Parts: sequence; C-alpha cells; structure tokens
Amino acid sequence: MEVPGMKVSLARVRAVRGDWSLSAESVFEEGIHLVSGDVGSGKSTLALMLAGLFPPASGTVERQGIASVMIAFQFPEFHVTGPDLERECKSWDVDPASILAAAGLAGRNTASPLDLSRGELKRLILACMLARDYDLLILDEPFSSLDCSEKERLCTALSGRKRGITIIFTHEQAYFPQVDRIWEIQGGVLHDRGRLPSALCRWNHAPAVIKNLIAKGKVPVNISQTDLLEAACRT
Amino acid sequence: MQDIRLRAGTAAVLSLVAFTSIGGAAVVFVWWLAFSRPLQVLKKMRIVIPAIILIAFFGFVLEFTGGGGISYGLRMTVIILIGAWVYTGYRQGEFLMLWVWLLGKKTGFDLGMIAEMGMQSLDLLVSDFSRIRQAQELKGSCWGLHSLVPAGSVLIHGALRRADETAELMAIRGYTRGGSYCPKFETPVKDIIAGIAALCMGIIAFIPVSEFFILYH
Repeated sequence: MEVPGMKVSLARVRAVRGDWSLSAESVFEEGIHLVSGDVGSGKSTLALMLAGLFPPASGTVERQGIASVMIAFQFPEFHVTGPDLERECKSWDVDPASILAAAGLAGRNTASPLDLSRGELKRLILACMLARDYDLLILDEPFSSLDCSEKERLCTALSGRKRGITIIFTHEQAYFPQVDRIWEIQGGVLHDRGRLPSALCRWNHAPAVIKNLIAKGKVPVNISQTDLLEAACRT
Repeated sequence: MQDIRLRAGTAAVLSLVAFTSIGGAAVVFVWWLAFSRPLQVLKKMRIVIPAIILIAFFGFVLEFTGGGGISYGLRMTVIILIGAWVYTGYRQGEFLMLWVWLLGKKTGFDLGMIAEMGMQSLDLLVSDFSRIRQAQELKGSCWGLHSLVPAGSVLIHGALRRADETAELMAIRGYTRGGSYCPKFETPVKDIIAGIAALCMGIIAFIPVSEFFILYH
C-alpha cells in the first residue's frame, strides 16, 4: 500500500558539538536527495538526526507518513548480526541466494561477515538494504570502500528506487545516481540548492567535470555518468 | 583534578581504602561527593549506573550463596565511582605525561603510549557500541542479552584490526622504543587539598593510629 505524503521536516534544527554547530530548516520529500559537504561539515550528524538517532539541541525533526527507516552507516560492520553470510541475509529478511549473487558473494554462505573485506561487506549490507523497501533510506558515505564498477552498480540500484525518500550523504566526486534534489552543507548551514538541472549552477561542491560542462554551456540533465556523458557529447 | 599525578595517586589510595572495609568505602564515598563533581561524572559517564546495577546483582548472588556479597557490592560500587571520576577527568596525553614522569623516556614513554592507545580505544569502543546498538534496533532486532554476542564480536574484531593497523603504521614510521617528551603539570591548590584529604584517609585506614596515642574511654 502506498503511503501518501511522505516527508521529513526539519524546523529550526540546530545540532551542537563543542564549538561546532549545524543549522537546518528544510523539508525532504519523496525522491532521491544528495547532500554534499566537506569532511567534518556535519553530514553524518545530520544523517543521524534525520534517522532520529541524534537529538537536535533545538528545533524539531518531524517524519510524516514514514513507516520504516533505515540508515546505512559509513562502516558496514555496525550492521552485522549474523555469524555467517547466510544468516546475515536472513537477519535482514531477504533471500540469501539472490542477495549473495547480487553482492558478488555467491557460494560463500558459510563465511563470516567479519572475514570479508570492508568493500565486500559494504556491498552485502547495501544489497540487503536495497532489497528491502524502506520508506526513508539514509545512506552515509555509501560509495566509500567501493571500487568504480561497484559504485556504478550502486548508482544504478539507487536510481531505480521509485518510492520513498532516499537521502545520500557523500563527498563522492565521480559517481552519482540520478537525483531529484541537491543539498549542501556550507558554513554550518544546510542549503537547499533545488531541483535538477537548475540546482547544478548553484552547487558549490559540484565536481570539476560538472563545473567544466556548465562553463561550456552544456548543463547536464542530471548527474549520473550517462547524463554527464550525454552532456559532454552534446554539440 | 588537573594534575594527573595527583589524580592517579589519589585514585589508587582511595580504591585501596574503599576495598579494605565498608567504613573505608563510606569515607571514600563522602570524598567522592565532596571533590569529584558527582553530577558531572554521572552525566558524562552514563555506563556507571548499569555497571553498579550489575555489581549489585552479583553482590546479591554472592550474599545468598557464600555471604559477604553486600559488603563486596558496596565497596566495588565506590571503586567504580572513583574509576568514573578518573576517567571523566581524563585529557588526551595525560597518561603519557604520567608514565614519562614516573619511568623516564624509554620504558615510561612506551607504557604511557600504550595507556593512551587504550584510552583512545575505549572512546572508540563506546561510540562503536552505540552505533551497533542503533543499527540493530533499526534492523528490527530487540536489544537484549542475545545481542551482546554479535555486538561483542564486531567490537573485538574492530579493536584488533585497529591495533594491527596502528602497529604496522608505527613500524613503517620507524618506531622501535621510547621517545622524547617533556611532561608539564599544573597543580591548583584545590587539587592539593583533595589529595591531602585522600592521603589522610589512607593513613587512617592502614596505619594503626590508635597505637600512637593514649586513648581514654
């Protein structure tokens, strides 16, 4: 059953850690959102606040129409509860055979998740999460530890998410899924850069390739590899 | 207490006094209330209360099986409170300063560095534990005793991997043993007063004071 009007609203939210602070006043609606910012700008803190795991010092985080929430932490080890890959998949309530095949780990059902490399484990955990249909899916640096082909595969999977709210926190500069809206943390404030493609001209953390394309007047429709290639080949 | 030498010495004396008898534990508890800023300690180190509950549980079990459990529970509770006070007052680099001051720039430096690494790991373990707990709750598993095994495996695995990486990094950077470090300490008057109070308790607890005086009854 479709849940109508899913959204996460941040009303005068302020997070404080020592001298550092982050302010946000925004609404995340259904679709794929990309939040970029420098390392240490507060991306992970904001991700935790949106997931309801970190209380803001002031203001409110309100979730509407959202029945299921999941956050993918930067370190996939934190999600492990099963002693082997088979039982790890079952702990997510997903089919082990298809997930292990999707994560490139077919036939390793009895291996311990903690014996996998971080990249392999990340692939497995993300495959399990994406196989579930969470209303609110928050991904904190999902591309770290993944090689280029895996990043591309993840982008394709994320672009295919048709319902719910997906919020990607990343400082990745090369691989992106097709997103609906771009956000940016700058100077301790969360800025809404708007919908694509107009958001690209206001995106200060845009990768050099996107900035170059815009400078040449070739504004990409979106930011996936295919979109960037299409814009680059445009005459 | 800013001076780590005083804090470590005071903690050692107070722990011994508290462990000796219930009377000693009571006096040390009064010291803790007077000098440690108790509310701040409890607020900063929330694991204190669960740790005390665990000790109380074992104390009761011991009381009903072999006896002496309540006394043990009370004494250990006070020792935990002293430990929490030492931990919450910790500032990075303090143990390196302490051990270099105690044993010099070779053995002292090595021991201090190990202690610092231990403290750093402890901080990471606490934050990792909180993330694991959050991840398990989001996954739909109820947090309980059964969750401790997978959480413990992840924590131990992570700690060992970090230790391995640190050791490799130090070897690559050419570390063999010892290092140059000149510790500097600040000792405010109130620290000295708290230290003297603890020392007095130690003297009264371990030296048979009554034998030096003629007491009239």
